[in-house]
Amino acid sequence: MADLSAQVQEPFDLVRLSLSERVFVKLKGERSLVGVLHAYDGHMNMIMSDVEETILLVEPEEEVNGAGTVQTVKRQLEMLFVRGDSVILVSPGAR
Amino acid sequence: MSASPPQDQAGASAGTVGTPADFLKGVIGKRVVVRLTSGVDYQGLLSCLDGYMNIALEQTEEYVDGAVVNRYGDAFIRGNNVLYISAMESI
Amino acid sequence: MASQILPLELIDRCIGSRIWVITKGEREFAGKLLGFDDFVNMVLEDVTEYINTEDGVKKVRLQQTLLNGNNICMLVPGSSGPEDA
Repeated sequence: MADLSAQVQEPFDLVRLSLSERVFVKLKGERSLVGVLHAYDGHMNMIMSDVEETILLVEPEEEVNGAGTVQTVKRQLEMLFVRGDSVILVSPGAR
Repeated sequence: MSASPPQDQAGASAGTVGTPADFLKGVIGKRVVVRLTSGVDYQGLLSCLDGYMNIALEQTEEYVDGAVVNRYGDAFIRGNNVLYISAMESI
Repeated sequence: MASQILPLELIDRCIGSRIWVITKGEREFAGKLLGFDDFVNMVLEDVTEYINTEDGVKKVRLQQTLLNGNNICMLVPGSSGPEDA
């Protein structure tokens, strides 16, 4: 990706430059989205399409070896409204 | 978001140069660590931020329990999740 | 009522000295207070972050740091932190 720093004067510029692009969105509750960003507002409410949602299910299980099992669930969503208050991070140029 | 950005009101406390608004001005372009209330850390170059502590980071590395778990070329972090922004070099 | 002092006036008098910040979560901070605003966002210098976990207290050293006022619960003026209490 080209050096965006000159065009980014406030954090929302980064999001504005990602309109119509695929973005990665990290949400509260161990969820993440990859999809095309169509619209957003000052709350970071977003409209996304062609979305793949990934949900991380961490099951505590017996604490014998400490680590619980991690299971991921994926699903496809055609068109999505995301409420801004659950957004943690938005990164352009999603993998 | 009903509250107005802090930098509009900074300076209400004394005339010192150490207010949050001064920090925000000085920290741009510096390497920072941004810690979220969840405990997740983001290290990167701070390209800009606003009064809500919304942040745009470059060369971002995401740390969970001290280990890098993700890298992002650019990242927008929504300010409500931010616990602190700490400069990794002097301002 | 002339001697009434506002809470933030007290904190204003702490600028330049060390302060102990206790957050809503399992974290505390101690450092020199450089400034703050009406939201009690605070700029600290020479900071120690104390993370209270089940395995004890973890300490992290930080340089100049802007603390989001959203998560701040209590302030202890003039204290160097939990180890000073």
